[in-house]
Amino acid sequence: MNSSLWLPPVVLATSLLPAIIIFLLPEHRHRLRTVINLSAALLKLSLVMVMVWGVFHGKSYYFSLQVLPQVALVLSADALSVMFAGLSSLLWFWTTVYAIGYLQGTENRGRFFGFFSLCVASTLGIALAGNLFTFFIFYEMLTLSTYPLLVHKGTPEALAAGRRYLIYTLTGGALLLAGIAWLQTLTGDLDFQAGGHQALSALGVDSLRAIFFLLIAGLGVKAALVPLHGWLPGAMVAPAPVSALLHAVAVVKAGVFGIIRVIYDTFGIGFSQALGVLEPLAIVAAITILYGSMRALQQQDLKRRLAFSTVSQVSYVTLGAALFGPLGTIGGLVHLIHQGLMKITLFFCAGSYAETLGSKRIDQLDGAGKRMPWTSAAFTIGAFGMIGLPPLAGFVSKWYLATGALASTLPWILLVLLASTLLNAAYFLPILYRLWFRPPPQQWPCEAPRQKTECHPWLLAPTLFTAFAVILVGVLASMPFSPLSWAQLIAAREYLP
Amino acid sequence: MIMITSAGLLLALLLPLLAPLLLLARPGRRALWLLLPWLPLPALLLALFGETSIRLPLPWVLLGSELAMDGLRRPFLLLAALLWILAGGYARHYLAPNQSRERFALLWSLTLSGNLALILAQDVASFYTGFALMTFAGYGLVIHSGSEQARFAGRIYLLLAVIGEALMLAGLVLAVVAADSLQLAALPEAVANSERQTLTLLCLLGGFGVKAGLPLLHVWLPLAHPVAPTPASAVLSGVMIKAGLLGWLLTLPLGYAVPAVWGQTLLAMGLLAAFAAAAIGITQNDPKTVLAYSSVSQMGLLTLCLGAILLEPGLAAALLPVIPLFVLHHGLAKGALFLAVGPAQGRQPHWKTALAVLPGLALIGLPLTSGYAIKQALKQSLYDGPKEFLLLAQLPLLLALASAATSLLIWRYYRCLRSSTAKSSASGLQRWWLSSAAVSILLGLLLLRPWPGLPPQSYGLAAIWASGWPLLLAAALIALQRWQRRPGPTIPAGDVLWLVLPLARLLRDRYAPLITILSHRQQQCGQYLRSKVDRLLRAEQAFLDTEILLRRHSALLFVLLLALAWWLF
Repeated sequence: MNSSLWLPPVVLATSLLPAIIIFLLPEHRHRLRTVINLSAALLKLSLVMVMVWGVFHGKSYYFSLQVLPQVALVLSADALSVMFAGLSSLLWFWTTVYAIGYLQGTENRGRFFGFFSLCVASTLGIALAGNLFTFFIFYEMLTLSTYPLLVHKGTPEALAAGRRYLIYTLTGGALLLAGIAWLQTLTGDLDFQAGGHQALSALGVDSLRAIFFLLIAGLGVKAALVPLHGWLPGAMVAPAPVSALLHAVAVVKAGVFGIIRVIYDTFGIGFSQALGVLEPLAIVAAITILYGSMRALQQQDLKRRLAFSTVSQVSYVTLGAALFGPLGTIGGLVHLIHQGLMKITLFFCAGSYAETLGSKRIDQLDGAGKRMPWTSAAFTIGAFGMIGLPPLAGFVSKWYLATGALASTLPWILLVLLASTLLNAAYFLPILYRLWFRPPPQQWPCEAPRQKTECHPWLLAPTLFTAFAVILVGVLASMPFSPLSWAQLIAAREYLP
Repeated sequence: MIMITSAGLLLALLLPLLAPLLLLARPGRRALWLLLPWLPLPALLLALFGETSIRLPLPWVLLGSELAMDGLRRPFLLLAALLWILAGGYARHYLAPNQSRERFALLWSLTLSGNLALILAQDVASFYTGFALMTFAGYGLVIHSGSEQARFAGRIYLLLAVIGEALMLAGLVLAVVAADSLQLAALPEAVANSERQTLTLLCLLGGFGVKAGLPLLHVWLPLAHPVAPTPASAVLSGVMIKAGLLGWLLTLPLGYAVPAVWGQTLLAMGLLAAFAAAAIGITQNDPKTVLAYSSVSQMGLLTLCLGAILLEPGLAAALLPVIPLFVLHHGLAKGALFLAVGPAQGRQPHWKTALAVLPGLALIGLPLTSGYAIKQALKQSLYDGPKEFLLLAQLPLLLALASAATSLLIWRYYRCLRSSTAKSSASGLQRWWLSSAAVSILLGLLLLRPWPGLPPQSYGLAAIWASGWPLLLAAALIALQRWQRRPGPTIPAGDVLWLVLPLARLLRDRYAPLITILSHRQQQCGQYLRSKVDRLLRAEQAFLDTEILLRRHSALLFVLLLALAWWLF
C-alpha cells in the first residue's frame, strides 16, 4: 500500500469512523465511548506525526478523486496542512479528555461526542484540503457539525446564540461559494500550491480583486474579522470544552487558515501584493485587533472577555498573513499555533473555575489562587502569553510580527501591536491581581465537593499540559520541529517555491 | 576553565529559576526558605572567578540565545549577586512565618533569575525576557504587605512598568531591524546609523528610563520603596533600577556621533534628577523615601554621564569603564543604607547609628570610601576630555554640588532614622545588615589599590579638599536652616504624580460624558442592528410557517397542481 496516497484519507477516517460508531452506541456505554474517543485521538495524532516527519523530508501526500468534470476532491499534505493538522489533533486529544471530565454525569453525551468527532474530522479535512472546492466542503461540514455542540445545553440563550451562529456562518459560506465558483469558471480547478498560481496573472485585475473580496468576506466570518465577528461572543454560552476548541482550534482557526490558503497558495503572496489587496486586509485586521481588545475591557463575564480577546488575537494571524515579507508570514503562522495553545489554556481554566467554584464573573475570582493554585498558575501563564511577555509563546509571535511590520511597507502596524499589548495587559492583569492578591471570599458562588486534587483531575491534566506547552514553545522556540522552526520552513517554501 | 565557566553561566541562571520547584513538597518549602540567600551563590562565584572570554550559546532557546560575561557585565553581576545574597539573608529574618513566605520566596527567586538573566544575556530576546521576568515578579514583592498604600504604589509601578515594557519592546525591535542582528553588541552602531533614529532613541530612553528613574518616569520609586518589605527595597534600589542603566549602556550609540540634542536632553534630565530629587528628598519623613529620592538623584548622575558621552563621543573611552564601578559602589552603599532601616532605627547606641550612616559618606565621596575614587575618576575624565560644549566644562563643579546635595540627603536620612521609633529587631536582621555595611566599606578599601579602568587616586590636599568642601557647604546650609528654625515645606512622596493625578481625574471627568455618549451610541447601533436581525428572523419564521402549510396540505396542493396542468395543456 502506498502510504503517500492513502495517509490523508486514513487520517480523516480516524475521526469519521469513531463518529459513526459513537452515534450508534447506546447512551449508557460511557466507558466504551471514552476508550474509542481517546484511542482514535491518539491514533490520529500518531498518523499526523508520521506525516509531519514525511513532509519534513520532502515527501508529498496526495489523494485525488474526480467528483465532477473539472472538479476534484483533493486531500494532500504540505507543510502548512500538517501544521494545522498537528495542532488540531494534539489539542483535540486534550479537549476530549477535558470534555469527558466536564460532562461527567450529564445527559446526551453520545450526541455530544458524536458531533465532536465529526467536528474534528471536518477540521482535519480543512487542514488536508488540496483545493478550494474540497476546502469548502469541509468548511461547511464544520459549520453544521459545530451547531449541535454550541446549543448542547438547550437553553433558550444557547439556541438563540446557535441561530445567530448559523445565520452568520451560512451567509459567509454562501459568499465563499460564490467566490470559489467565480474563480473556478475563470481558471478551472486550482490545487493549492506554494507561491500561488501563475495562471491568475493573466486575468483581469478587477475581477480578481472582487473574487479576493468575496473569498475573504466569506472566510472572515469565521475568522471573526470586525464587523463580521458578531456571532463569536454569543457563542461562549456553549460548554467550556466547546468554547475552548471553537476559539483555539476549530472554527475561528478554520477561517484564518482559509485566509492563509487564499493569499499564499491560491493567489500567491507576491501577486496579492501586486494586486494591492494586502494593505486593506491589514487595516481590517488592525481594526479588529484594537476593537476586540477594547470590547474585552468592557466585559465582566470571564468567558465573554476571553471571547473578545479571541476576536483580537486571531487577527494577529490575519495581520501576519497580510504583511508582505517572510518575517510577518512567520509571525502569523506561528501565532496560529501559539494563540491556540494559549487560548485553550485560558478557556480550560475558565471552565474549571465555573465547574469547581461556580465563579463565572471576574469579580467572583478573588483569591481563587489560594483555592486552585495549579489552575490559576496555568491561567497566569496563558494571560502573560497573551500579553506577549517573554519567554512565553505570545512573545515569539509578537516579535516576528513587529519585525515583519517594520521590514514591510506598513511600519505603523508596530503601533497597533504596542497598543494591543497595553490593552491586553489592561484586561488580563486585573484578573491576575484578583486571583493571587485578593483574599478569598467566605463562600464560593457554587462550590463543587472537594476532591483530592483542586478540581476534577480530568479537567486539571489538560490545563496543565497546554500551559506547559505555552512555556515550552516559547522557551525552546528555535528548536527543530518547534512551531517557530516549522513556520520558518513554510515561509521559506512560500517565498522561494 | 572553559567548562567550569560555561557550567557556571548556566547554573547561575538555573538555580534561582528552578529553586521554586521546591515549593511543590512540604519539606521543600522550608528548604527553599533556608536556601533563599544562597541562590545567587553560583552567580557570585562566576563574577569573582569566571572568565570573560567564554560565551555559552543556547541555540534552541528563545530566538537563539547566548550567555556570557564581559568586563562591562562583571561589576553588574558582582553587585547583583552580593546584594541579593545579603538582602535574601535579611528577608529570612524579616518575614514572620504567617506572612505568605511561600509566595514571597517564589517571587523573590523569579525576580532574582530575571535580574541575573538580563545581566548575562548577549542577545535581545533573553535580555528582554530577563527584564520582563524581573519587572513582573518584582510587582509581587512591592505589594507583598497588601496594605492600601502598597496596593496604590503597586498600581503606579505596574502602570509605568507596562508602558516601559511596551516602549522597550518597540525600541529593541526598531534597533534589531536596523542592525539585522539579535546580538546586543550590534545594536549601538545600528542605532547610530538608523533611518528611524529619533523614534528608536525615544523608545529606548523612555523604556529603560522607567526603571532607571528618569525624571517624570521616576514617580513609582518613592512610592514603592517605603511600602515594599525592606529587603525588597534594598534590591529594588540597589540592583533592579540599574537594569535600566545597563539597558542604556548596551543599546545607546555611546561613542558614536549622534545629533547633539540627545546628549543635551540626557544631560538636562540627569541634572534635573540629581538636584530636584535631592531637593524633594530632604523634605521627606520616612528614611526609605529619602533613600528612594537619593537613588533617583544618583541615577541622575549616571544619566548625566551618558549624556556627556552622547554629546562628546571622545569621552566614551575614559568614562565608560567608570560607570559600572559607580553602579557597584552605589548599589552596595544603597543596599546597606536600606538594610539599616530596622536594626539601626530609633535611639540606638551611637556606634550603630554611625555605622548606618557610613555608607552614606561613600555616596558623598569622602576619602577612604568607595565614592572617593569613583567621583575623582569621573571628574578627572571630564576635565581631561574635550570641552567643545560649555556645559561640559562646568560638569566637575556640578558633580561637586551634587555631592553637597547628597550630603543633605544623608543628613536627612540620619534624622529620619534617629527620630522614628525603634522597631524590635531580631539579631538576624542586624547580622545581615552589618555584613552589608562591611561589604560596602570593604569595596572602599579595595579601591585604594590600583584598579583596572580606574586612574590612580590622589590623596593630595587639593583632592581631599575637593571631596570635602561640598560636605562643609551642606553643613553650613543645615546650620543656617537650624538657626532660622523655619520648618521646611513637605512634598508628598511621588511629587509630580500628585500634579498629574488631579489632571487625569479632571480629564476623566471632562471626557466621561463623551464616553457615555459613545457607549450610548454603540448601544443604539446594536439595538438597530438587532431590530434588523429580528426582522430577518421573523421573515424566516414566516417562511417556516408557510413550509408547514405546504407540508400539511401537500396532497390537496398536488391535486390542484395536476388540475392546473390538465387545464393548461
